[in-house]
Amino acid sequence: MSTGSGSYGAVANPSQGVPDWFAKRKKIPTNLIVARWVPVALVGLPVLTLLAIVIYPTIWMFYHAFQDTNMMRLFQSNWSFVGFENFITVLSSSRFSDSIWHLTLYLTFGTGLEVVLAVILALTLFELVQKPLLRTLILIAVVLPMMLPPSIVGVLWKFMLTPSNGAVNHALLSMGLISSPVEWFNAGVSLWSIIIADVWNWTALPLLIIYSGRVSLPPAVYEAAKVDGAGGWIVMRRITLPMLKEVIAIAFIVRFMDAFKFVDLVYVMTSGGPAQTSELPAYIAFQRGIREFAIGEAAAYAIIIFACSAVIITLFLKYLKKVLKAQAIA
Amino acid sequence: MMSKKNYSLVKWLLLLFLGIWVVFTLFPLYWQVITAFKSAAETNLTVPTFWPKEFHPENFVAVFADPTNFKALVDSFIIATGNTLLSLFLGTLAGYAFARFPKQAGGENLAFWILSNRMFPPVAILIPMFFLFDALPWGTDSYMSLIILYLVFNMPLATWLMMVFFRDAPRELEEAAYLDGFTPFQAFWRVTLPLVLPGMVSVGILCWIFAWNEYLFANLFVGSAVRTFTIVIPTFTSGSQSLWNLQMAFSLIAMVPPVTLFIVLRRYMVRGLSLGVVKG
Amino acid sequence: MSRLEIEGLCKGWDFPVIDRLDLVVEEGEFFVVVGPSGIGKTTLLRLVAGLEAVDAGRVIVGGKDISKLPPYRRKIAMTFEGYALYPHMSVFRNIASPLIAQKIPKAEIDRRVREVAKLLRIDQLLDRKPGEISGGQKQRTALGRTLISKPSVFLLDEPISHLDAKIRHELREQFHTLEALRRVATLYVTHDYSEALSLGDRVGMMGNGGLVQVGTPRELFEAPADLFVARNLGQPTINIVETRARSEDDRLLLESLSGGALEFALSPAQREKLNGHASGTISLGIRPQNIRVLPEGGKPQSSEQVQGRCIRGTRCHFHRNN
Repeated sequence: MSTGSGSYGAVANPSQGVPDWFAKRKKIPTNLIVARWVPVALVGLPVLTLLAIVIYPTIWMFYHAFQDTNMMRLFQSNWSFVGFENFITVLSSSRFSDSIWHLTLYLTFGTGLEVVLAVILALTLFELVQKPLLRTLILIAVVLPMMLPPSIVGVLWKFMLTPSNGAVNHALLSMGLISSPVEWFNAGVSLWSIIIADVWNWTALPLLIIYSGRVSLPPAVYEAAKVDGAGGWIVMRRITLPMLKEVIAIAFIVRFMDAFKFVDLVYVMTSGGPAQTSELPAYIAFQRGIREFAIGEAAAYAIIIFACSAVIITLFLKYLKKVLKAQAIA
Repeated sequence: MMSKKNYSLVKWLLLLFLGIWVVFTLFPLYWQVITAFKSAAETNLTVPTFWPKEFHPENFVAVFADPTNFKALVDSFIIATGNTLLSLFLGTLAGYAFARFPKQAGGENLAFWILSNRMFPPVAILIPMFFLFDALPWGTDSYMSLIILYLVFNMPLATWLMMVFFRDAPRELEEAAYLDGFTPFQAFWRVTLPLVLPGMVSVGILCWIFAWNEYLFANLFVGSAVRTFTIVIPTFTSGSQSLWNLQMAFSLIAMVPPVTLFIVLRRYMVRGLSLGVVKG
Repeated sequence: MSRLEIEGLCKGWDFPVIDRLDLVVEEGEFFVVVGPSGIGKTTLLRLVAGLEAVDAGRVIVGGKDISKLPPYRRKIAMTFEGYALYPHMSVFRNIASPLIAQKIPKAEIDRRVREVAKLLRIDQLLDRKPGEISGGQKQRTALGRTLISKPSVFLLDEPISHLDAKIRHELREQFHTLEALRRVATLYVTHDYSEALSLGDRVGMMGNGGLVQVGTPRELFEAPADLFVARNLGQPTINIVETRARSEDDRLLLESLSGGALEFALSPAQREKLNGHASGTISLGIRPQNIRVLPEGGKPQSSEQVQGRCIRGTRCHFHRNN
């Protein structure tokens, strides 16, 4: 059936440019359904709340990052402007550069490894475990740690990693994997203890996301592959992984962003010690501000972290926007 | 391309790895459970025991010998529930506006800005808010302070996810309700809300678990008049010795609500955990 | 009083969709808007219903300008292309919905719902949920919801396009007999041309931006205003041949640009009508229905040139290779 060519001019359609009314119309069309203030009010309430609890602190931190504020000066209200001194102190300190190195290790062997493990485990679970009940049980088992509050995770692992009589050392000794107890909370090792606890705690999140992403892939694609006679590995590389690309990226980013504000396990397990060898930047900001009362410096730390995460958040939101848009079209 | 033999070897290796992982995740939980039944002396033996010599279920009662410990659970519950209701209320309003009147509500960018607050590093908020709340009538050591503070991470999540759920609920149904003669509020109440209710419940539970488990804010802000269980657990000590058995017993009790909710509703919660990307 | 008048209606998003559209649908008239998909038919209905605000122009019902009113104050009923039944309510509650909105007493709601359900033959299904009934039954339920409220204007958006042929036919018959539709102005939108021709008291063909031609089905079929209307009405599609025309006294000579020529004898009346037009390049349209294959002597096409055919009911369609 011919539907008439798209450019065919109907009676009322002027082929010469846009009609007058079209150029003059309102950019945001009138809404007949609710008064104009209603959506503004609906959004306004949460926005005002956020302005109060996020914007106010941000401004406060930006202000004090350039002052010599400490706890005493704060109470006496006699701080003074010191320019970039706090930033210089922070950036030139070995405490900061050490913490950046710690963060790099944490991002690689904590966050990064978690996502890699999650991909392997989630896909193994889905593709190779055939019994539905067993599959569900395993899924619940491996996802449980995520539901624990960080303070319990911290306490539990601290307990198990106790060097003298902890469960882990004992188990490793009796299996013959180590010959003498590992000093889990010594310098150089304590950061790894935190990373182990974190991997235990949070691999569950990307795993659950990726597993569910795999579940929601259309079976039709796989039936087609079966007809073509493609083997398991080929199907994995050619179909599953490409189709899960976005889901894996989201899982990674969700974890990655948490990593920058990661404080609680450090605080519970090692308090950054011994001798600041397991400190991460966010923890130092917390420690300097809350325990050591160097508010100006803590603010500088916070702003540096904030700047880093702002860059990543922006990139992430751009990506999320793209993914959701693609989904809306599909 | 891999040969058939190699492929089945890889399969077995992967399954073995999965098995090891399951042991790795379950072992600490197993340890937690058996420790909860041990006596205090047994937890401090030089050679740890992998099965309790004798069971002490009374540990679970001993936890509550100090009535403030039970109050800690109640406090956590009040704060988590209060914060969830507030997050859900604000999030539903804004999420609806973003889904149905995107342009008038400030557009996609405002929605993304709200979400971005969830990723805000808490340290940047902690210190200023501490001094701000100190100056406010309710002070820092109160339900109110944590209920409000937890909005920082829960309200953006609730807003964002409710927007995703409202977008999924067909707009046509609401329009049909308008043509039936229902006002926007009636249409929302009669048609849209029942449709998004399952989503709303899962968002609420996610928020509730996050608030229930929160540690950092609670640790700094409250501590005497109000104490959440998360900050109470590490304080179970006798002298310099941790009372591991009581810590584990108490944490097992505190884990029951989030773990149960999760097992029952995990299917719905994946959507929330992946920020709406995975349908679950 | 429920005369529907549309004056200079304009609406656009990224580009103008409806551009200065005028239309009057009389009380009791069944007006069908037909056109290819994506041309703005649904937008037209949504503007009349108030689901979208007009950029310019007015919608007048019974002499009253309603273009600034919200949809829930317009007293207009509309069926949606996807039925838009409330999935969490029973068929009964779906149909009763407009009456509940008007706060009508329960007993009367019950009576009227049963009345409408009986008319539409869904009275056995009142307790079911929309998920548990078939497409045709869903459509009847949606129709019931619009019929029950006694509105002044009915808007029907592709009400039967997604149903299978048998039910389509049945429901099409039902539209002719529904008494309720005879008292109000009905605007019916479809992309199906045969549906338009068979249902409408009058038909409006929608092209880019507005109505290309408005008239009775016969007028549109037999005297299309332009090629767009001609091409879109009638199945199989009309044959259009580009020709060079020359008229000589009482004869019209058409030479096809791709070879071949036709010669017509013209009556004086026809000559009058053609005056001035019969020169230069013109398009000749011939409906396949009007072509007869003549026996020997009438110089028929040789059989090799007939490329293929498809059989539709009682007619055979031949396609000729050019």
